[in-house]
Amino acid sequence: MSTYVYMKVLESAPERYDRGIHRLSGGTIASIYERVAERVAAPGRRVLDVGCGTGGVALACAARGARVVGIDVNPGMLSVARDKAARRLPAPDVDWIELGAMELEDRFAPGSFDAVTSCLAFSELSPDERRYVLRVALRLLHPGGSLVIADEVPPRRRAARVWRRVRRLPVVFMTWALTQTSTHPVGGLADAVRAAGFADVVEERLGRDDFAIVSGRRAAGAS
Amino acid sequence: MSVSGFAGWLRDTLLRLAPHATATGLRAVGRPGPDSPVVLTGNYTLTVRRLVEALAGRDAWLLVADSRGINVWCAAGGGHLTHHDVIAVLRSSGVGERVRHRRLILPQLAATGIERRLVREATGWEPRWGPARLEDLPEFFDRHERPRKAQRAMRFPLWERLEMALMWAWPMALGAFLILTLAFGHRVATVGAGVIVLGVGAVFAGLPWLPVTGGRRWLMYGGLALVTLAAGGEGLLALGAARPAALAGLAATCALAAGILSLDLTGTTPWYPGTINSFRNHFDVELVEDRCTGAAECVQVCPREVLAMDGPRRKVVLARPGACIRCGACIVQCPEDALRFRFSDGRVVEPGTVRSTRVNLLGRRAVPLAAPPRTPS
Repeated sequence: MSTYVYMKVLESAPERYDRGIHRLSGGTIASIYERVAERVAAPGRRVLDVGCGTGGVALACAARGARVVGIDVNPGMLSVARDKAARRLPAPDVDWIELGAMELEDRFAPGSFDAVTSCLAFSELSPDERRYVLRVALRLLHPGGSLVIADEVPPRRRAARVWRRVRRLPVVFMTWALTQTSTHPVGGLADAVRAAGFADVVEERLGRDDFAIVSGRRAAGAS
Repeated sequence: MSVSGFAGWLRDTLLRLAPHATATGLRAVGRPGPDSPVVLTGNYTLTVRRLVEALAGRDAWLLVADSRGINVWCAAGGGHLTHHDVIAVLRSSGVGERVRHRRLILPQLAATGIERRLVREATGWEPRWGPARLEDLPEFFDRHERPRKAQRAMRFPLWERLEMALMWAWPMALGAFLILTLAFGHRVATVGAGVIVLGVGAVFAGLPWLPVTGGRRWLMYGGLALVTLAAGGEGLLALGAARPAALAGLAATCALAAGILSLDLTGTTPWYPGTINSFRNHFDVELVEDRCTGAAECVQVCPREVLAMDGPRRKVVLARPGACIRCGACIVQCPEDALRFRFSDGRVVEPGTVRSTRVNLLGRRAVPLAAPPRTPS
């Protein structure tokens, strides 16, 4: 069974994930976690973070007093998240669960959450999977609850898209070589959120038009 | 093979060591209908292309799960193709609306990552293991979706060994060619690159007869360095370029190539255990016989026929422990937790840990044996 590239290197990737994402985001990732958290987290609010990874958004929400559930398929990432939670917060109210985004309906009843968040996880999903997860997220939200997705997106102008690729190539290569972490832009995010039935969908662009925070709401009267 | 087929083969073979992703989701092979079989695989371009070729002339649904562009075996062993990915593609692809049945054929070599029970519980689909090699799928379907016993065992035929040799040889040969060209000119560089290609090719061609595991492998790699040096020296003499400096450069090249191969040549094959995880501290699969109930799930997934059923006793036995490649599939699948890894210093990796971290950094997961094995009450 092959080991160099796939195991000896990737295996310890969770421990290097934070470093890789910090580098790829040009040092802005921590502020993005905070921006997502400030939109949804308040004492007692129930927040679900889909694809929580090493717990960036989940911990930012917990620090604001929210009751957080962080799900991820990677036990290594969750283990790093648990360690970080124990180090940073005195009594974090976070449940870390090894669960796929497509398995949410098996675990949580409709209306279980006041907010659903996801940061740099939707870009890991196929278009089919994004549609599926958005439909499930809508059901899991309490009426009036909000969805906030933060992810890399392709810039709107073609020239900017080309320039972004060129500019990032050395950073992406070096980051992958050192940390085996990479990210991919996801197109049509706001449209996908609207198509899933969310109301009041707003897309805020950050960085060089290559990062977006998309928010939406489950309409209060929705069943 | 068509021109585009050859181009695809060349690209996939040369880049075999690197992840190479293709689209996930449901694909039709032939004209599948509601009763056609559903075959799952990972999204490694090479595997998907070969599966489509293997199923040519048949009607089947191909369900491509997200294995991060890695082949199913390495992905499963590294935790990148698990039941989470199978559940995800079953649900998001809409395959359930295309077929009337709920039979799902899984690649046997993904057994280190995919827990069948969890797929069944979450989705209602009935997963079963296909043959170890995808070219056996047509016969598997002709036999009403049952593999012959021999088809559960991995094979490593000459053509595949030579593909592996190509994967290893070209980056080393290219690197050697560039460096030797700068230092000694293109004639020495051509000889250096040539002996690397021939040496690596000869090792993989002769793999079944060479001592590539155990302490004697160092003799083999030393021998390889000397033989390639001798062949290269002859080449330099023939070309009239056998200056002392060039010979020294060639010697360094041959030693380096053998050294790189020795790191974990066996780990890139489906036939031998990797040496990286057991470099200093050997480990084996251990059967805790008291816990075994003869479910034989392990026998179904072992690609090296290590495990066998002892029928009269209703117990599994380690029939060929020397052939074990320590992929961990049997440990993950055993419903009674009767198998685990045991290191030579007495520490163990229990099944729960293997199911969580697969075979990643096994040495780091090993813990002292907590309590004596359970005894029947």
